Amino acid sequence: MSPTEPRIGVLPLGKVPEIVSKSIAAHILGYLDLDADILPALDDPSYAFDKRRLQYDAGAILKSLESEPFQDYIKVIGLLDVDIFVPIFTHVFGEAKQGGKCALVSLYRLRKNLDGTIASIPILLERTAKVALHESGHLLNLLHCMDERCVMHFSGTLEDLDNTPLYLCRYCSTYLRDALSRI
Amino acid sequence: MDEKMSIMIVDDEMIVRESLFHWFEKSGHKVDTASSGFEALEKLEKFPFELLFVDIKMPKMSGIELLEKVKEEYPDTIVIIITAYGSIDTAVKAMKLGAIDYLLKPFKPDHLSLVMEKIAHQHKLASEYRYLKGRLEEITRFDNIIGQSPEMERVFQLIPEVAQTDSTILILGETGTGKELVAKAIHAKSHRSNGPFIAINCGAMPDTLLESELFGHLKGAYTGATHTRKGFLEVVSGGTLFLDEIGEISPKMQVDLLRVLEEKKITKLGDRAPVDVDFRLISATKRDLEKEAAEGNFREDFFYRVNVITIQVPPLRKRKGDIPLLVEHFLEKYSHETTKRVDHVIPDAMKLLKSYDWPGNVRELENAIERAVVLSKGRSLGVEDFSFLRPPSVLPSGTRSLREIQKDYVRKILEEYDWNVTQASKILDINRVTLHKMIKRYELQRTPSTGP
Repeated sequence: MSPTEPRIGVLPLGKVPEIVSKSIAAHILGYLDLDADILPALDDPSYAFDKRRLQYDAGAILKSLESEPFQDYIKVIGLLDVDIFVPIFTHVFGEAKQGGKCALVSLYRLRKNLDGTIASIPILLERTAKVALHESGHLLNLLHCMDERCVMHFSGTLEDLDNTPLYLCRYCSTYLRDALSRI
Repeated sequence: MDEKMSIMIVDDEMIVRESLFHWFEKSGHKVDTASSGFEALEKLEKFPFELLFVDIKMPKMSGIELLEKVKEEYPDTIVIIITAYGSIDTAVKAMKLGAIDYLLKPFKPDHLSLVMEKIAHQHKLASEYRYLKGRLEEITRFDNIIGQSPEMERVFQLIPEVAQTDSTILILGETGTGKELVAKAIHAKSHRSNGPFIAINCGAMPDTLLESELFGHLKGAYTGATHTRKGFLEVVSGGTLFLDEIGEISPKMQVDLLRVLEEKKITKLGDRAPVDVDFRLISATKRDLEKEAAEGNFREDFFYRVNVITIQVPPLRKRKGDIPLLVEHFLEKYSHETTKRVDHVIPDAMKLLKSYDWPGNVRELENAIERAVVLSKGRSLGVEDFSFLRPPSVLPSGTRSLREIQKDYVRKILEEYDWNVTQASKILDINRVTLHKMIKRYELQRTPSTGP
């Protein structure tokens, strides 16, 4: 891939296992056909901590990330290991604005299984990759997809997320190609 | 969700509006926001949002008040109440007032997703229901005469009664009052409803053509008769024949039809063998046939033959109480046909519609609504949407002196003719000197033009 081709930045925020960053970068290359680099980690986003909810405000973190230039990257995926929320929801696994520059993926709720046990590393990696691909899709202007066999299908629970595949359906693949051709 | 919806989020907290806005945007819905109930109502006036998320606790106009207003004016709009101050009481109240669901914020992402699935399902059912209802109305439109005024109630009572008999019926009424609808309703309720219903406008065709149409002809019966053709009197066998504008038919045709009614037989043009016919005749006219018969302009024997039972359909100006009902019916019809969501006539416009005389009756009202719907830019019709209506012939209500009325009328005519005194005096049927005197007496002055 030539240096002029669009690249995605994978940005750890605070302490995030390196294997997760690497796995996400590999999945972005494998499923979206976009080169991804792991960027130097930024500090834990303590500025976004909500004392009332004891969670981190995803909107505030995204706002802060959007103010950074990240010149060499068309999109940036921030990874963090804290519980994030948007005001109307109890929590979110990830967050991105439609067509925005930066997205977030939180490992916090992906680590646990529905029965309360800790998820194995392969399961955690698969879940984080799905959320990262889904949020990347939004950054590239893909919408939620009706097809349950598409990574752009909305997953509100871990069970839904585990049932969602890593790949895009053929319609979303077409939209993605179309979106990338315009970059 | 297989359908994209138009959604408005009404919340005084910007952060909530933004969160929901971005969430729905990700699913491809058309989303807008309003920070107050007033803003929401303003936006609803301009665009038919299908789904509203309304926060209960808002300053000035609460979510419950907004819900009430929305359900009153736009009953098809789905409302979901959201609040951080949830209580069973408010939830029950909101649901009773027509909210479809109730969300306590913050909610789980999958909860909102489930609610949206439920709404999408209901939306789909509602669309299907609207489509099928429209189809059903189309099929049963013959029976679909709108009205609840005492005058129409009398007509409605008469229809099933006369439908059971086989007597001829004469429907009297001005043009556009729905005489054919009444005829169709009688046919539909009669034992002939499985047979054909054929409507012929006698005023629309010359006598010779009408004769050929009614009686049929053999091949070569006259120049141009290249093949044998059955007439409507034969085709309608077992059903109902509706002759509109029967007052227009010639004396000769009156004799021919009289014979058919008495003998129940017809003979095709160019044929000698009579054919048995079996139909019920319903005629209609806007003319006073009794008077015309008395004056010798219409055959008396034929008049009495077609006029066994008379039904008088009242003109719209005599049943103005039916106008809102008719307006609602036509709005629904044309919103459906034009796929424009226009579902409301503002009170001032309804007042105008009720004050207008409707010389063209229900047909004119229908055309007016169709025109207004086609040209309207919002979802409600205002006075300006009916500016094409001729001004009401009735004088404005209130006690006014003759002098005031005369002054206003003279001014109106002068304005209409751009203050051309010669033309205005002709219209007023007075001489120019008198008009000049009136202008002076009433101190009338030309309104300065404000320019384009």
